[in-house]
Amino acid sequence: MGEALVLLGAVGTLALCAAVFDAVLAVPGGGAGEPLRRVARLLLQQRRRTRLADTLLVRTGVCGLLAVAVLAGAVLPLGERPVAEMAVGVVWFNAMEVGAWGALWLVGWGVNSVYPLVGGYRFVAQGLAYELPHMFALITVALGAGSLRFADVVAAQRGLWFAVWMPVAFAVYLVSAVAMAFWGPMDGPVSDDICGGVPAELSGPDRLVFQAGRYALLVVVAAAAVPLFLGGGAGPLLPPWLWTALKTVAVLALLVWSGRVLPTVRMDLFTRLSWLVLIPATLLQLLVVSVVVL
Amino acid sequence: MEPWAAVLGLLGVLALGVLAVHALSRLLAPGPVLTVGPFLSGAPPREHALSRFHVRWYTVSLLFLAFDMEMVFMYPWALVVSEVGVGAVVEMFAFLGLLMTGVAYAWRQGALRWA
Amino acid sequence: MGLSGWLAGFAAACPRPMVVTAPHGTRSRLLVEAELSRRGWRHAHAPSGTGLLVVCGTPADALSRAVEMVWTTVPAPGELVRLRGDAPPERVAAALDEAVVRLARPRSPGTDTGERTDVPMADRGPDRDGLTLDRLRVPLGPVLPDWPAGLVVETVLQGDVIQRARVEVAGGLGGERFWDAPWLAALEGREVTRGEAARRLAASHLDSLGRLLAVAGWPGASARARRLRDRLLWERQDQWVRRDFPGFARAVRRSRTLKWVLRDLPAARDPAPGGLVRRVGTWLDRTGLALRDLDDGRPLDDDEGPRGPVGGEPSRGLLAVLPELVTGADLAAARLVVAGLDPDLDQLRGARDG
Repeated sequence: MGEALVLLGAVGTLALCAAVFDAVLAVPGGGAGEPLRRVARLLLQQRRRTRLADTLLVRTGVCGLLAVAVLAGAVLPLGERPVAEMAVGVVWFNAMEVGAWGALWLVGWGVNSVYPLVGGYRFVAQGLAYELPHMFALITVALGAGSLRFADVVAAQRGLWFAVWMPVAFAVYLVSAVAMAFWGPMDGPVSDDICGGVPAELSGPDRLVFQAGRYALLVVVAAAAVPLFLGGGAGPLLPPWLWTALKTVAVLALLVWSGRVLPTVRMDLFTRLSWLVLIPATLLQLLVVSVVVL
Repeated sequence: MEPWAAVLGLLGVLALGVLAVHALSRLLAPGPVLTVGPFLSGAPPREHALSRFHVRWYTVSLLFLAFDMEMVFMYPWALVVSEVGVGAVVEMFAFLGLLMTGVAYAWRQGALRWA
Repeated sequence: MGLSGWLAGFAAACPRPMVVTAPHGTRSRLLVEAELSRRGWRHAHAPSGTGLLVVCGTPADALSRAVEMVWTTVPAPGELVRLRGDAPPERVAAALDEAVVRLARPRSPGTDTGERTDVPMADRGPDRDGLTLDRLRVPLGPVLPDWPAGLVVETVLQGDVIQRARVEVAGGLGGERFWDAPWLAALEGREVTRGEAARRLAASHLDSLGRLLAVAGWPGASARARRLRDRLLWERQDQWVRRDFPGFARAVRRSRTLKWVLRDLPAARDPAPGGLVRRVGTWLDRTGLALRDLDDGRPLDDDEGPRGPVGGEPSRGLLAVLPELVTGADLAAARLVVAGLDPDLDQLRGARDG
């Protein structure tokens, strides 16, 4: 139980850090207090529901987003050991984060409003584009390590980080991580041009839990890059948990920053990029790695 | 701890957290639940938003399914490549090559362009 | 109520305002946006997420009804702030301060809103490929963030593709044409310097750029354009603007992602090469040129406003081509196309309501 609480505490803290960093980027010289004020505002906000909304579906989606994010994080080593040690950890991670598709679509469909509906379908289209490059990147890592267990993946990078000798897989992973957390240039499902998209009709506790889920997902996909590509907790002097934390913060900061410095990529453009560039590139990377491990 | 116990524990703590948020909101937020129409730039809705959404990228989803089946086999494949050797790599990439031919065909047919 | 009182005060300092502008309310919108950015308040994009609905200018009937409708869907605690089109900066700041004070005070909320009439399920209609599909009637505007004041595009959607579009106007009271004012004044024979006109022109293009970049989902660049606009228009920090603008223009021009996102989107009826990408370049070019003339003291003697000859109501032409340009586009593309046209409905005389 102790590890579970550590995981939740770490995800919560990093999620708040990400929100604060984003607020500071949005309002230079101020704004650091905004996320906490926002939490207070949502707790005080009158609960609200759209007419003939399917509340059960909406709540399932809102809570589901947070749940899949945390469950995906359960297999990530916090320093040395994860909360749930699994021989197929990489597959588990993959299976959990795909749950975000369902969560977003349920919210978008359930509230009976056109902008969330459009946002929900945008995320499904985005999923069809990012998921395959994402899985190829994960499989490349598994191939390099010869294992689907996160601890073995970390151990396999003792000599050289996978980020160094699988740069294409690493880059594609980062793109797909942003897409999965519908963040930054891939925030079409929740973008301003459709009035906030999926969560556009949520208020009060529902909006709070949804936002928490979104930040948790961003934190978890950033944290997964550390054992997958950046050598996990390995590093000189400092203990593994601290190295894991430092590397996670670095990846997280990069992802948050990318959201402010790049325009939102339209879904049809990303689909073409994904199928015509990202997938072939990851396949070539996979070929190179499989020749190396032979 | 067993993985399933850890996962259940996580879910339990999460559920408590979400319930706590809702309880706090009930305590702090004013009044009854506000029931409103959807946001439509200030106009009343003329029909329910729930509808059979025109999914213009349905061909992409078919393409995706073909690959997704393939991916399920790739996880176990990744574990045995070094044991099985060259044969595993040749067979897998021959199959992937066939799939990519399909992608190229779909692309030429305009399946990746819908706007 | 100690805790909730303290929380209310804590939360009230970041109310996430949502700004609605009526035609002829441009001046107060600009003052509000400048004041919000000074306070570091980020905007809300839908009523559910806002605690403060700010109405700039005086809406006529249709827009007034739309604002009322939106206001009833804002959950408590929320405040409605109305600012006349000619509200001075002190009034804007004071109105926002008062709203914060009221927000920090718990009050009893509303319960149910709007008419309760049942609406039918979506009807079907033919799409462009001859399929029969569900369609939704969705108006874009008038209450829509980063959208031209008073514009209503009545659309028929299938999925998120616009099958049909019709333009209507939700007017406002008053007659000020903020962006055209220097040229109109000069035409009336009043003394206006070229420098003043150049300042207005540059600010207008920066405003358009800020909106297009916001719709394109590039918040960093959008905020920078608006900061330049505010410093130029209200704070008159010309040196700062001249120093910062080239870097901004370079960043926007060089952004390959922006070019990619705007590619193939039209900026006019004739699909001129470049489309929206070229429109962005033109705005940047003209802003850069205007920034050189800020100190030009010679009298203004032309009528070329930011959107063309101020006598000719150029925005009427923009509205005429709009339906054609957005038909067949998805919502993402359509929003970009409208932001690229950026019609100024203050120019429409006698079009108080549609």
